Amino acid sequence: MPPRTGERERCVTGIDGLDTILYGGIPRDNTVLLTGSCGTGKTSLALEFLIHGAVAGENSLFISVTENSEKLLANIIPYKFFDRDLIKSGKLVFIDLPAMYERLGMTKAEMTMEEIDLLVAAIGNLAKELGIRRLVMDSITSVCYKLKTPEKIRDFILKLSKTLSDLNCTSVLVSEIAAQSSAYSTFGVEEAISDGIVLMANLERRGDLLRTLQVIKMRGTMHSRAKYVLDLTPMGVLLVPLLKGGSSAT
Amino acid sequence: MTDTRTAGNVARQLNELMPGSAVSLQMSVDSYLDVMRGVLDMYAGKRDMDTIYVTATISFEAIKRVMAALDIDTSRVYFVDCISHIMMGTEAAQKDERASLVESPTMLENIMLKVEYLMRRSQSKEKLVVIDSINSLAIHNNNWILSEFLHILVSGLRAKDAYTIILSVEEHSTPEIASMVNLVCDSGIRAAKEE
Repeated sequence: MPPRTGERERCVTGIDGLDTILYGGIPRDNTVLLTGSCGTGKTSLALEFLIHGAVAGENSLFISVTENSEKLLANIIPYKFFDRDLIKSGKLVFIDLPAMYERLGMTKAEMTMEEIDLLVAAIGNLAKELGIRRLVMDSITSVCYKLKTPEKIRDFILKLSKTLSDLNCTSVLVSEIAAQSSAYSTFGVEEAISDGIVLMANLERRGDLLRTLQVIKMRGTMHSRAKYVLDLTPMGVLLVPLLKGGSSAT
Repeated sequence: MTDTRTAGNVARQLNELMPGSAVSLQMSVDSYLDVMRGVLDMYAGKRDMDTIYVTATISFEAIKRVMAALDIDTSRVYFVDCISHIMMGTEAAQKDERASLVESPTMLENIMLKVEYLMRRSQSKEKLVVIDSINSLAIHNNNWILSEFLHILVSGLRAKDAYTIILSVEEHSTPEIASMVNLVCDSGIRAAKEE
């Protein structure tokens, strides 16, 4: 969908339903918080966002914090549009953050303000060097556990967002929350700083468990705020509207 | 085993449909097999179209057995089976590439998602979606949500120029179900045995 006159350029996610919800895609250079409890499809959606980018010729970077990249790739959905040559050609790059911590000598349980600057600079340099246009960090929550205080979390996310935005990079920060959480992030800071929030959840209705997606906010574009049901398929993430008739579920 | 005149009549009327049409196909219980032959063999089979068959009445395995007995080619029929899971009989569907399971007929959104997935996967120029049957779905869902489901599903398929056939069994139908189906369909076919 082409951008409307006066609207910001879009980073087309390639996920049809999501691009429709967002009136054409994520506004370029935005930092989006992709949040949800476990098993809601966050990593799959984030990966698909990168793969579509790489297929479209945009260099894409996945920064894995919790899971080893090898293991992640071994469990990837067999997407029809995924070709391992994207990795070989450098269009799709996987980096394990623990390895980066080690290289930077960040071995302590809590990062200092100087180390935050060092980490942001290292990610920024890497993104610049590789010409990255799409970046995913999975998960920001794990990084936040090393930051400890709301001030440091705020500082880290603000600096990271600015660095990536200045490089014309659209980023997705994956956030983990508890299943019944009413907040959009574990520390309550991440959601306030991000340009957008995409909430993924499990909805129980009469004993059935449905995976849902809802765009809570997205700066720089109009968007639907309705809840959608999704399926993770080899053709990618598919979305349909949540049916409301006669349902007592919230 | 089947009444070819009834099957032929069904196929003839289906052949007159415009792309993107949705049709209500009413039948009596004893004309089910004739309808199967008319829809899958004499209509979809002859036109080389992929069929997405949503079954909420009997398992896909049982339907495949019936079709095999009728000598109907099912190589281009893809099933969305909403019943095997609740019968705890998913083994066959898990092994069959042409079967997609929906955990329960109450998961109407997941039925739409499986249909969408199969639509995207299909290479066929023309596509047919069969809902078997609205009466079975009505056992598990209230009329409001079922009506909303039909409206969204049929509108989406219409936009893709796919044909939709909604089967209903006369003996199990109610005025509410008939009205719900009529609201989304362009035309109706009644399959009855020729006297």
